[in-house]
Amino acid sequence: MATSKKVITRDEWEKKLNAVKLRKEDMNTLVMNFLVTEGFFLFPYGETAEIDLATITDRMAVKKAVQNGNVEDAIEKVNDLNPEILDTNPELFFHLQQQRLIELIRQGKTEEALEFAQEELAPRGEENQAFLQELEKTVALLVFEDASNCPVKDLLDISHRLKTASEVNAAILTSQSHEKDSSLNPKLPSLLKMLIWAQNQLDEKAVYPHINDLSTGQLQNPSE
Amino acid sequence: MYSEQLNLAMPTTTTSSSSFSSAASSSGNRQADVFSRLASPDPEVKLKALREVKNQIIGNRTKKLSFLKLGAVPAIASALSDSECNSILVQSAAALGSFACGFEAGVQAVLDAGVFPRLLRLLTSSDEKVVDAGARSLRMIFQSNQAPKYDFLQEKNMEFLFSLLNSENENVSGLGASIIAHACGTTVEQQVLCEAGVLEKLVILLDGSLSQREACLESLATVLKNNPEAVSRFVGLEAGRYLSSVTELTKDRYPRTRLLSCLCLVVIYNTSPSYFLNMGTKSSLVTTLLELLNDPGQSGDEAALGLSSLIAEKEDLQKLAYEANAIKNIVDILKTGSELHPKRLQGLFLSLAELCSKLEDCRCSFLSLEMLDLLVNALRHNNADVRTAACICFRNAARSVKVAVLGALSNIVLDFSSPKSTFIEYGGIKQLIELSKSMDPNTRCSALRALRNLMFLADKKRKELFYSEVKAQGFVSLISGKQSPLNHNHMIHLILQLTTKTKTYSSSDPEPTVQEQGLALLRNLVDGCINSIEFVFDEEGLILDTVGRQLRKSPQAQMAIQGMYVLTNVASGTELHKEAVMQQLFPQPQAESNNFMLKFLQSHESQLRSATVWTIINLISPSSPGALDRHVKLREEGIIPQLKNMVNDACLDVKIRIRTVLSQSMSFVPDTLIIPQVKAVRKSLYHYLYHS
Repeated sequence: MATSKKVITRDEWEKKLNAVKLRKEDMNTLVMNFLVTEGFFLFPYGETAEIDLATITDRMAVKKAVQNGNVEDAIEKVNDLNPEILDTNPELFFHLQQQRLIELIRQGKTEEALEFAQEELAPRGEENQAFLQELEKTVALLVFEDASNCPVKDLLDISHRLKTASEVNAAILTSQSHEKDSSLNPKLPSLLKMLIWAQNQLDEKAVYPHINDLSTGQLQNPSE
Repeated sequence: MYSEQLNLAMPTTTTSSSSFSSAASSSGNRQADVFSRLASPDPEVKLKALREVKNQIIGNRTKKLSFLKLGAVPAIASALSDSECNSILVQSAAALGSFACGFEAGVQAVLDAGVFPRLLRLLTSSDEKVVDAGARSLRMIFQSNQAPKYDFLQEKNMEFLFSLLNSENENVSGLGASIIAHACGTTVEQQVLCEAGVLEKLVILLDGSLSQREACLESLATVLKNNPEAVSRFVGLEAGRYLSSVTELTKDRYPRTRLLSCLCLVVIYNTSPSYFLNMGTKSSLVTTLLELLNDPGQSGDEAALGLSSLIAEKEDLQKLAYEANAIKNIVDILKTGSELHPKRLQGLFLSLAELCSKLEDCRCSFLSLEMLDLLVNALRHNNADVRTAACICFRNAARSVKVAVLGALSNIVLDFSSPKSTFIEYGGIKQLIELSKSMDPNTRCSALRALRNLMFLADKKRKELFYSEVKAQGFVSLISGKQSPLNHNHMIHLILQLTTKTKTYSSSDPEPTVQEQGLALLRNLVDGCINSIEFVFDEEGLILDTVGRQLRKSPQAQMAIQGMYVLTNVASGTELHKEAVMQQLFPQPQAESNNFMLKFLQSHESQLRSATVWTIINLISPSSPGALDRHVKLREEGIIPQLKNMVNDACLDVKIRIRTVLSQSMSFVPDTLIIPQVKAVRKSLYHYLYHS
């Protein structure tokens, strides 16, 4: 296929990449930002004076609880931290309730799960039609004898816990956010979005090695 | 409703559906249990119960309602008032705050419990968490319309307010801003606040946390609204730095921040537009609000009202919005079919109304999107604000005089069986009648078309309403001097609709009033020009003469169809009417032997064949006295025999009607005339009609 776009070979591209100078401080800040916002590291160094360690600990406790499947515990902790978060975030609240149901099903507590679905989740669907579809999917887990092999088995996956945990984490961060450039605002997602955007823009003008898999960051040749 | 679906999804391992009712009652039991523990004298038990209630109701509107009904609020209020233990204070305040969060019944209950002063006192606690809990709850209360009035004019209250704004605690300063945002109402209050230096305090919050920023933006909007002095003071702060900050915030990552900053700018623009000389700012304000319209939550609701307020009366902004594709975006949202909040509906319709108020392009664009069904539904919405907004929208859109626009109007099929329908109230018919008198012939034509469609399948009441409207204006003026063929066509259609009862054959009681009036209408029509495709309406004589005359003149199929339908309708009337039609069909003496009915029955146009057969059906309806004679005449003229040739007509409609005629015919053949051929024909016809 004939193309009027400029073609950049792998070699040329890598040369260009290597020519970009990054300051070590910027790299450190980015890594620190990631570690702090994701809760791996409680003692940031370098800039950032205004982080309240207690709030980071609280936030991490919530995240951990969800990741371990103790959703009820997580909800109580969030409410202790800031009762407004779940009161003003119907989608987040729904997802937490949904996760609770999933955990009950995972533990084989079918009757309790049914009760919970009827008492807690059904009203969410009534209050807000947007949730009905996801609700149906989740309740579908109850229908199958072997939930781990049904069409909606992804809900039982651990990754779903991580997804919910991440959602809660973000909401807490939002409520705690101070300055616009606070180190508590996760920077990595924005950078990744910008990368994708830049690639899309460049696609219109050139053929060049892409990063297609963000998790590996591997360059793929233009012909692939 | 949804619990029924859950029933179906129930696996067979559970015992029976009664487990659901027991689930419901066991949850009820649990609630009653925790409620009783609220009153426990043991502080440990009480604390645990408070925490439980709090955790159950947060985010859960259903539980808030059920606990409310149990009387939880007064119980928690007592716990708050009677205790000095910090943990209990925190939990009970948080619970009360949650009851008040976005839940009007909850706010009411909290205020009724008389716990408001106690919550205020919490703000002076030495325990930061107690202060936080108190401040949050109070902020929830102040976001409601039921919040107690705050008298800014009292010095003590001002002092208290400023002590809140000065607080290091972000919940407390946020509360101060919230009080201003929701309680400040009058110009005097705005003045007093500004003079006390509130603007300087508020802008500090712009650099604070998210909730502080949002509270600040809300309160700024309230203080600056319609107050040029306040606006000038605000803009003057640090040489416009804060106006820039607010403008920058319209690009913030959080939608609510974007919304609130936009609303703030709208207020400033509406109050003192001179600060917005930059087209770029105006344009980006419009586009940001348009984007926010897509937010499914509260921000979207408020963005719609904000947009309507921004573009109100401002042609340049309306143009900007139109160019930014506002109309299509808004219509798409309205068409999504999901239940939209009344506030959002109101805002969207008001925005459309504003867009259509001055710009012809907007109106055409809007009406070409086939929004009229939605608009009509909105006219019947149970919220009065939505109805009003839809009416204004309709009225503005209808100002357009382009034919295409009116063409869309004519596609309205309105069902207003109740005479008090909003459409009539707002002069919908009047509007169209006015337009039907326009100087522009195309406009007249389109208005008549719209009227005609309105009358389609209209019941007697609607027709009478039309007559009463029209009588007031004088019907004759409906037809102006120069007739265009289109006008005549529509006028005939209109009259057709007015004089039609239903499409189905009915020999039973006609509605004489309507029919008479229809004929009277016909009689009043003013003379126009004759040409080969037009009908002439005599002022003096019955239209029938003219219709008949035209029919005998070999008209085009379309005209013939209309003419035959006129005859059909007339023939569905009284004996006199039927006879009059017969006169037209077979005038004495016959000048030409030209029998146009036969011609029509042999036409290629199925509608013409059908209309002709209808006329025959009405003429020989067995219940009328002269039917036999008319049948004889029709037979003599070869009409009935012709019909017999058409029993297998290609058009189903025609075929059915012909069979009707022939079965009617059977009743006319006198039994004394038992001629073998007749018998044979009759037998085969019966066989054909009933056994094929």
